[in-house]
Amino acid sequence: MKKLVGKVTEDERNEIQALFERRNGLRELAQVLTPDNVELYDRLVKDMGENATLFQNWWNRMAEKYKWESADGGNWEINFNNCEIFLKTV
Amino acid sequence: MSETDIKIKDSTASWQDGVAKTITFIVTKDCQLACKYCYLVGKNEKERMSWDVAKRAIDYILDHERDFPEKSVIFEFIGGEPFLEIDLIDRICDYIKVELYSRCHHWFDSYRFSFSTNGINYHTDKVQAFINKNISHLSIGITIDGTQRKHDLNRVWKGVEERGSYLDVVRNIPLWLQQFPEEATKVTISSADIPYIKESVLHLYGLGIHAVNINVVFENVWKDGDDKLFENQLMLLADDIIDGGYYKDYACSFFSENIGKPLDPERENNNWCGAGKMLAVDAAGNFYPCTRFAAYSLRSKEPIVIGNVSDGIDKNKLRPFLALDRITQSPDKCKTCNVASGCAWCQGENYDAAETNTIYQRATAICLMHKARVHANNYYWNKLYRKLEMDGRSTKCEG
Amino acid sequence: MLQYLVILLDDTSVSFCHYDVTKPERRLISLDDLRQGIRFGMMENLMIQFIYPDYALPQEYLDVIDTIDHSNIKPLSALDCETDIVVVDGWKYNVAKLNGAVVVLRTSWNQLSKNHNNLKGLLNVVMRLSVVITDVERMTASDHEQYKAVLELLGKDVESICLSGKSPQFNLLTDRLMLTEMNNCGAGDMTITLAPNGKFYICPAFYYENEADSVGDLNNGLNIKNRQLYSLDHAPICRKCDAWQCRRCVWLNRKTTLEVNIPSREQCVAAHLERNTSRQLMLSLRSKGTFLPDIEEIKEIDYLDPFEIIRQ
Repeated sequence: MKKLVGKVTEDERNEIQALFERRNGLRELAQVLTPDNVELYDRLVKDMGENATLFQNWWNRMAEKYKWESADGGNWEINFNNCEIFLKTV
Repeated sequence: MSETDIKIKDSTASWQDGVAKTITFIVTKDCQLACKYCYLVGKNEKERMSWDVAKRAIDYILDHERDFPEKSVIFEFIGGEPFLEIDLIDRICDYIKVELYSRCHHWFDSYRFSFSTNGINYHTDKVQAFINKNISHLSIGITIDGTQRKHDLNRVWKGVEERGSYLDVVRNIPLWLQQFPEEATKVTISSADIPYIKESVLHLYGLGIHAVNINVVFENVWKDGDDKLFENQLMLLADDIIDGGYYKDYACSFFSENIGKPLDPERENNNWCGAGKMLAVDAAGNFYPCTRFAAYSLRSKEPIVIGNVSDGIDKNKLRPFLALDRITQSPDKCKTCNVASGCAWCQGENYDAAETNTIYQRATAICLMHKARVHANNYYWNKLYRKLEMDGRSTKCEG
Repeated sequence: MLQYLVILLDDTSVSFCHYDVTKPERRLISLDDLRQGIRFGMMENLMIQFIYPDYALPQEYLDVIDTIDHSNIKPLSALDCETDIVVVDGWKYNVAKLNGAVVVLRTSWNQLSKNHNNLKGLLNVVMRLSVVITDVERMTASDHEQYKAVLELLGKDVESICLSGKSPQFNLLTDRLMLTEMNNCGAGDMTITLAPNGKFYICPAFYYENEADSVGDLNNGLNIKNRQLYSLDHAPICRKCDAWQCRRCVWLNRKTTLEVNIPSREQCVAAHLERNTSRQLMLSLRSKGTFLPDIEEIKEIDYLDPFEIIRQ
């Protein structure tokens, strides 16, 4: 079930969308790179870690700012087209 | 009902529209089908892109990052049928990803791989493995023309003209929609297809496709009276979309609020077509301003080659494309047309049909068809807004 | 509107522009075609310019030519008192012989960069000098740097001649001072060429490049398809440009960009270096006294290729 719980600004949306794009890029690159390419592989692992941190920080910051409704076992989702935030529960 | 409650589905805008560079790999000139309206006059089984050419093209493009400042990139793969070359495509995409990352190229954070396929090989293991590997960076459009009789009218197997391809494609639509629920299909209308427009669009909606991008061919194929038939079909379609309530969740690109208005000669003087802003490379390693300028797309003109993977791009040959505007290429009847907005053109077809070797002579074969579309479009919006208005009144009365 | 008819009298007629004469064998225009060409020019009210080869024409040709008011463009080797414009191909000439002449000097960029010091002597004696850089489309960025320096030196030469009381006419630097609008070659728009084969061409260059590229003949008249593309209002880069002295060569345009109405970057940059040096010359002359007071000052601009401003 999805419930509309808020909205972020366009700048905020752009920030998370860029992180999301990069996360997807890194994940799909991970399927191609092998550990024998030591230099790139190490860089990838480091970047994935940094990206995950920035990603989580964004959600923490926004949740703190907007005080969105939450639920046990639920996740927030963003619609990149209109900046709306949904609470998704099973 | 307030204005904000009204739900009308828009035609889906393409990803990063206007800010993405499109780079097209013509990976093969072969296709399983021989569609009767296909503009590719020089299809063949021999011209398949080699890995060496593909790699050199990628290296050239990524080596010249300053010449490609666009924020985003769409690597497009076309044919013929691109999925005939899935092994090559897979290798190309892997190479692009690794190279973008290792070079810290700005496109690593904003790229897509795009395909326009006939859908026949969509379900195969290799294609599916590729899709799963790249799922968040893919845009895949399957071309299905509508009902079986409409689809099979044109989209027939190569060498077996009586065998249509509808059943070979439609079986893959559920899988495609499961993987890409927002994707649109592309429908092309030629003279013989006009009587089937209404039933075809509704059929595609029925298959679960929510966006139908449909257009008439730019070539001079139209017969006397086609415009009236076309107008009639679109009016019938308008009635069914509105009466059936499809407008809420389904879009058809024939109907748009922005078409059929006069255009200001100075403020609205942009070129319609993206040729020159795109880059295409073929199996020989030649660069083109768009695939429509490659030899296999041209009926009567020499290809316009703007460089190759060895020598790079000759920027002088791009200047005519980038300097092109609407007014300079248009005949007087277009400059003063009262319903000019939304009237499209293809720079490649303009070139192919021009009296001299120029891209600066606009072909106007679709003039009457555009005007017919505008009539039906006006009807559609007038009818839809009246319906919404009446629905609003009855809601208020009930309340 | 057409105003000029160029008649190439022979396949070996001298080149007065960027193109090379690629037909080594003599082929004189037929007397009948010459008569018909002149008749065409008279009926269309065109000013006729005859382009001569380096050998003497039969008297009957000269007699026919004399049936109409005209200009004669001749190679240096055929210079005589009937010559209106003399074409000097390269740097071997006798300055005294050119006293008072209207001169077209054809040179490669390489030769111009080596011999530009000789131009002051010419400018002092000729009525007008037009320098044609025959490989302008091949100039590189470093060539352009050097061209700028050469033009600055030539600007000083022109200034000193002006200050001595003369009024030199030099296409690269003084034309822009006098102009108030575009004044280009005009091939296909204001000028058309009749070749020795009796067919019309946009200009001689189109004839020498490909004889099949004709735009009509004497029997059927002119048939210039997409004629509007030769006019300034259909040239999206040039119509925004104020390097009004630019030759705007439609043949070079087609050769380099594949379109007659779109110039190459090389042609634009060279023309802007000339324009900008003309501006310096104008400012310098005005700082020393009254100079063309009715002509508007040439504006300072920050680009060398107007393509950049239309892209914005």
